Amino acid sequence: MNKVAAGVPLTPHSSTASAGKSIATLLLKLRSVLALALLVVFFSSMTSSFLTANNLSILTKHVAITALLAVGTSFVILAGGIDLSVGSVAGLSGMTAGYLIVHGIVFASGDPHFLPIWLVILLSLLVGGAVGCLNGLLVTRLSIAPFIATLGTLYVGRGVALLISNGRTFPGLAGDAARHNTGFPAFGQAYLLGVPSPVWFMAIITLIAWVLAAKSPFGRHVYAVGGNERAAQLCGINVCRVKISTYAFSGACAALVGLVIASQLEAAHPATGQSFELNAIAAVVLGGTSLMGGRGSIGGSLVGAFVIGVLADGLVMLGVSEFWQMVIKGIVIILAVAVDQLQNRVQLRLAGGR
Amino acid sequence: MLPTKLQTSATSKTRREIILEARNVVRKYPGTTALKGVDFRVYRNKVNVLIGENGAGKSTLMRILAGAESATSGELLLEGEPVAFADTRDAVKHGLAMVHQELSVLPNLSVSDNIFAGQELSRFGVVSEGEQSARSAEALGKLGSETSACVLAGALPLGQRQIVEIARCLAHRSSILILDEPTSALSSAECDRLFTVLRELKQQGVSIVYISHRLQELLDLGDHFTVLRDGLVAGEGRRSDVDRRWIVERMTGRNTQPDLSPPTPADAGGDLLRIDSLTAMGQNGRLVLDRVSLSARPGQILGIYGLLGSGRTELLEMLAGARTADSGEIFFRGQRCSFATVSDAIRCGIALVPEDRIRDALVPDRSIRENISLAGVRSFGRCFVSRRKEAERVRELAAELKIKANDLERPVSSLSGGNQQKVVLARCLLTAPSLLLLDEPTRGVDVGAKAEIYQILRGLASRGLSIVFASSEMEEIQQLAHRVAVLSLGAIVDEFDASAASEDRLFSAASGLRTHERENG
Repeated sequence: MNKVAAGVPLTPHSSTASAGKSIATLLLKLRSVLALALLVVFFSSMTSSFLTANNLSILTKHVAITALLAVGTSFVILAGGIDLSVGSVAGLSGMTAGYLIVHGIVFASGDPHFLPIWLVILLSLLVGGAVGCLNGLLVTRLSIAPFIATLGTLYVGRGVALLISNGRTFPGLAGDAARHNTGFPAFGQAYLLGVPSPVWFMAIITLIAWVLAAKSPFGRHVYAVGGNERAAQLCGINVCRVKISTYAFSGACAALVGLVIASQLEAAHPATGQSFELNAIAAVVLGGTSLMGGRGSIGGSLVGAFVIGVLADGLVMLGVSEFWQMVIKGIVIILAVAVDQLQNRVQLRLAGGR
Repeated sequence: MLPTKLQTSATSKTRREIILEARNVVRKYPGTTALKGVDFRVYRNKVNVLIGENGAGKSTLMRILAGAESATSGELLLEGEPVAFADTRDAVKHGLAMVHQELSVLPNLSVSDNIFAGQELSRFGVVSEGEQSARSAEALGKLGSETSACVLAGALPLGQRQIVEIARCLAHRSSILILDEPTSALSSAECDRLFTVLRELKQQGVSIVYISHRLQELLDLGDHFTVLRDGLVAGEGRRSDVDRRWIVERMTGRNTQPDLSPPTPADAGGDLLRIDSLTAMGQNGRLVLDRVSLSARPGQILGIYGLLGSGRTELLEMLAGARTADSGEIFFRGQRCSFATVSDAIRCGIALVPEDRIRDALVPDRSIRENISLAGVRSFGRCFVSRRKEAERVRELAAELKIKANDLERPVSSLSGGNQQKVVLARCLLTAPSLLLLDEPTRGVDVGAKAEIYQILRGLASRGLSIVFASSEMEEIQQLAHRVAVLSLGAIVDEFDASAASEDRLFSAASGLRTHERENG
């Protein structure tokens, strides 16, 4: 699977396997891309407005949110963990930014200090990274199962987000010229070269993540920890540090999502990001990453996010009810994993029948 | 239910002397044949000893008898009737039970729940706690154990857990008990208790199959002896016909001793590694390592002969930075050091080939290339791994170690055991070590690859690498080592040059004779 890193599988096995066999495996490996293509063909044939520039722009903006979360959690899952806290972290970082813009920082005595927007953004991202580090520390130092540790921070994060404003929304994040903190809405709304900023974020983060996963020593370590933790440790890999890094990256990505949403709405709402973690995990799984760790790719998660996004938006355009959308999404996830298992079995059989 | 059936069938015929028999059993695995046509008889109410070196096929044969595996060909006769067990539960129904080498007690359940795990006594779908604990108490009583049936099994010391395992077999009214190295984790007092129990069981009509490496306890306990070597029966005899020499000769095979004279060590300078009074405590308060002192020189191959539970794995892991000692000192290149992490040790030039490559070394889904470069991947670039440099170095190593693979991009799990072992070795060499540690360097490796690995290690030593390996195979120690240390129950009990490494000396040192003296004295 290592060549699939970009979601673009390269050569089939160069061994003497018959052409039929290699085509079968190739199709199985490309299945998420194929599924995506089928969905696009299907929706564009059903509604003429699907394949328009305007709609695609909206669609990719939606996809970007899921993709950023999915790419972040991919590392955690590849290293054998799970991160349920990403939705809460998105909410928390949005609220952090909202608080800093509306109330500023109040030192012991005196007037509030208002920070420039770049610093607000940086601090909010750091909050996300810090929650991620906390997750990592809970998992490594206190040996809490990742599911439980991040379930805990899911609640704590959401609670803190609500506490910041006592449950209220911070409206009007446009800032104030007198306080030198205008410009926040541009963060998630601006266009560069005709491409919306969230899509740029998605592209840049995915690229960075892909390089990390496929090209850097860190990536090798992540796959090793997920594939066989004890072996990784006996190879001199600092397993704890690797795990903490994956959670920190995931937290920072989630914080970026929270900032983008707050910026697009020009308001920070404490309930932002609820159940986003499920979308993220679904995208990762659709992309062929094993929840057991050690197997999968960043490109796969990106494709998975697109499948979820296209499916959701397409169904809305077809006028399918929200309730049916949930049913369909669930079925697609189960199908994807079933096909994944089928692929494993086929590969085993091909390997055995050599 | 079943014992009665057995008894009626036995009384209807004449009561057979042989209760269970395996005839011409062959077991093939991809790449190797573990059993090449073995006949094995279990005599009624006797302790039937099975001996053989690692890889001789003992465990495979026992798994077949206990229904955990099926034979490729051959047949099993129980009370003279052909049987085929579908699985271990089926074997248990027929009165056969296996006490596993790795204790399989469930620590989170009570003793009686453990005894009936998987075969709970129930009435109307509700577990009958009372009946279970009564029958557990009865079984434990038979074993002379005072353990209460309601304590958590996890709270028991190892020896008691072993007794619980045996009680499990008794509670299922097993008539044949298979014990695979039951004493490897026990203290000598616990061993004595176990032997008393086994002798009593024999009186009570249980037939026992007993596997162990410890010669002394086999000679004390056994009634019938069968020696396996390379998947064939190398000898069979009654206790009266058997002595230490008889066993050793058959185990090691007198005629086939290729290349026994070890190459002379390159004349080396001072010690590369010296350890002084290394001591470590195990979880149960038993000493895992007991004042171990050793030294290793460049160009020298030091063989540590030690059985399972002797502390050999712990010692090597300590040197590789994967474990810490409670007291004692390690000197490397004349400097005192303590490796807090494995990466510290690797940086100093120490690399370990672990005992269990599947569990401790390989990342099965990743490619051969990635598995080889894993420990030293930073040497191909700190931020970006240079695929060109990496592939080049990996290809060099693969060629040097003769790793047989069509494509280094295939998952490492597609390789045979011997080639997987070479992958782990290649990984260590990629970190450019000056001290190479190997724990059971040829476990689960076929004969051909074994010879190649020996060749490789000798070559490395002649280039000035210092090699320390631990093994429980005498032949391996004799063929490979320049110098030998014998580790038993955590202590070095003997140390000598390879020329003095006779089977007898190795055996008597390792099989506990001296340790018993030492403990009593």
